[in-house]
Amino acid sequence: MKPERVIEGQGTYLSRTMHGIAHDEVNDEISIPVALSGAILVFRGGASGEEPPIRVIQGSRTRLIRPQTIAVDPVHDEILVGDTTARAIFVFDRMANGDVAPKRALFGEKTRLLDVVGVAVDPVRNMIVAASRSAATIGLLTFNRTDSGDVAPRTVIAGPKTGLAHFRQVAVDPGTGRIFLAQQSMREKLLEPYRLDRPRTPAEFEEAREASTGRTGPGFIGVWNIDDNGDVPPRALIQGPASRLIAPGGVALNPKRGEVYAVDGGSSAYYTYLVPQFFNPQWLGSR
Amino acid sequence: MRTRLLLMGVAAAWLLADRWEPPITADSLPLALVGSREPTICLMPNRNEYAQVRGGGAGHDIGGEPRTTGEWAPADVHGGDVMPARTVFDPYPTFDGVAVDSEAGRTFFTDSSLSSVLSYPATAGANSRETTEHETRVMGPDTGIGFVAGMDVDPQRREVYAVNNDGGGVVVFGYDQTGPVRPVRQLETPHQSWDVSISARRNEVAISVQQLSGIVIYRRGASDMQPPLRSIRGYSTGLADPHGLDFDDSRNELVVANHGNWTELRPYSPYDRLSHEPQSYQPGRFEPPSIKVFDASAGGDVRPLRSIAGARTGLNWPMGVEVDASRDEIIVANYGDSSVRVFRRSASGDVEPVRMIKGDRTQIVGPVDVTVDPTRDELWVANYADHSAVVFDRDASGNATPKRIVRNAPEGTPALAFTNASAAAYDSKRDALIVPN
Repeated sequence: MKPERVIEGQGTYLSRTMHGIAHDEVNDEISIPVALSGAILVFRGGASGEEPPIRVIQGSRTRLIRPQTIAVDPVHDEILVGDTTARAIFVFDRMANGDVAPKRALFGEKTRLLDVVGVAVDPVRNMIVAASRSAATIGLLTFNRTDSGDVAPRTVIAGPKTGLAHFRQVAVDPGTGRIFLAQQSMREKLLEPYRLDRPRTPAEFEEAREASTGRTGPGFIGVWNIDDNGDVPPRALIQGPASRLIAPGGVALNPKRGEVYAVDGGSSAYYTYLVPQFFNPQWLGSR
Repeated sequence: MRTRLLLMGVAAAWLLADRWEPPITADSLPLALVGSREPTICLMPNRNEYAQVRGGGAGHDIGGEPRTTGEWAPADVHGGDVMPARTVFDPYPTFDGVAVDSEAGRTFFTDSSLSSVLSYPATAGANSRETTEHETRVMGPDTGIGFVAGMDVDPQRREVYAVNNDGGGVVVFGYDQTGPVRPVRQLETPHQSWDVSISARRNEVAISVQQLSGIVIYRRGASDMQPPLRSIRGYSTGLADPHGLDFDDSRNELVVANHGNWTELRPYSPYDRLSHEPQSYQPGRFEPPSIKVFDASAGGDVRPLRSIAGARTGLNWPMGVEVDASRDEIIVANYGDSSVRVFRRSASGDVEPVRMIKGDRTQIVGPVDVTVDPTRDELWVANYADHSAVVFDRDASGNATPKRIVRNAPEGTPALAFTNASAAAYDSKRDALIVPN
């Protein structure tokens, strides 16, 4: 099938490198980080064709370098952005436009944030969920929504029992406080062979290998509760040959219909899973 | 303040109201939706192997024994091997790069959707509605082909170069290799490499790298972790999110298409530690799309010899480029307006193309690459947004009808044009899934 609408062309300021997206249901807007131009674009919900964004966040005050992931909090009128190169989560006013400073930033050793590839917000419980990868912590980190600066996460889901390795987008269902994560591979992200324009050294590869569990296999959609903490496996999982998942990097939710959508870069496909129990507050309630 | 609190309350109530309606209970979930662990319906063979090169980036694997063994996940985890209730998937190839060896009479394509390299006779195609039969198809986990983008051929060595955009470097195959074969060699290149051009005159291979906003140049025949001879990158180059590139051996130049996105590149991997050193910061910016022309021997932070950019050029997401030396032209696959734009080789500044192929009769839909067959005086255009490539007379112009069409699916098959996506959002107002591609 063909897509119903396509937003594309130079006038949109979009690029071929976009790893996050959010739809703001209250204000009917689409927000997208553009990694290769250090920008956040906001479109009308019904945008189509070579339609320009209605707002652009870009410039020296923004501190953005390579924003990769985004979430919108329509309750508190905020846009949250994970930046893998700035090693930070920035929070902007939802209506921010132009070269504006973030309202808050989470950054520093205590946060454990490094390669921030997923961010989500639970406006009901006032929490931020980050999916971040580093040699020390490959995991899901939660923060208070209004945390700022170099603060420790409230909880850290990480460790061999979690199965967390090479993941990307994270989503939260505010109705149940459940975290949904798209993991592309059971193996940690392999070390890219270059540092800028020069090959890395054998010692760097050896260090990366030592940090790996060595586990391999196709990815999954995993579900945790937002108050889970420590080296704990997911409470629910979609993984296996019948699921058709190879390397899911994107996940979106439709709690009303009990559906989970997985976008799979491995098979260039998306899949809809009917799993109403994942959205049932009474299900998966305890370990 | 009260108004703001009221709005927040209304929004919170809206978020939570009427949202969970169990259409069926957990216990009544149809068993048909829970599959067995039989791999029979898997779309790809050897999923485990594919996962290392498709979707999310490959890297340099130095091997070694796995240090963790055993099954995961624990048995008490709910869910499991759940079958999708609906699937959106395109089972046909998506053409990306195209290259012709005119003497050998072969045309090659990369396929970014199903991760393969296909070849056809240079005379292939017709005005038929049917799928065109390919001569060879390299596909499978051992090939090292992942999210593949641009390509080139080396007629002297009868080799095909295919560039992996999301990790996996450049893989090189012999013309006649087909099936699930290993490449004759692989060259590690920086992440987000997009296109490749081979210079017989210089005995070099140039690779465009999007996130580097630069070009890396290797000795022809380089493999594995051999470093580049030099790179072209830096503020003076004007390079910004480069895509297609082509050596012009007759003038000793290198032509590069730019999308115009620029941001700093700093170490960003999970293995690069947090830096505490104060760093200068240049914010991201949008620049106009452009065609930059460099001296082919250039290296470092050098200015281009010429630059084609501006409103008159009509450049709009310029992808593949081809230098047609005998006609003194630079040909551009202009994805954004589904056109092919042709400029004089010496063009500079805000100039109009000397000719353009555009219109409903051309059947150009989202072109990603172009190439010239000098022997047959033909121009090939690879469509990304349609299951086809279209072949024109070399001097075609306007709303021209293609001479032949090479189809990788029956005519009318919708092209999902959905490759290497890694994020999604659900739009409840329109009951739509939005995916950045």
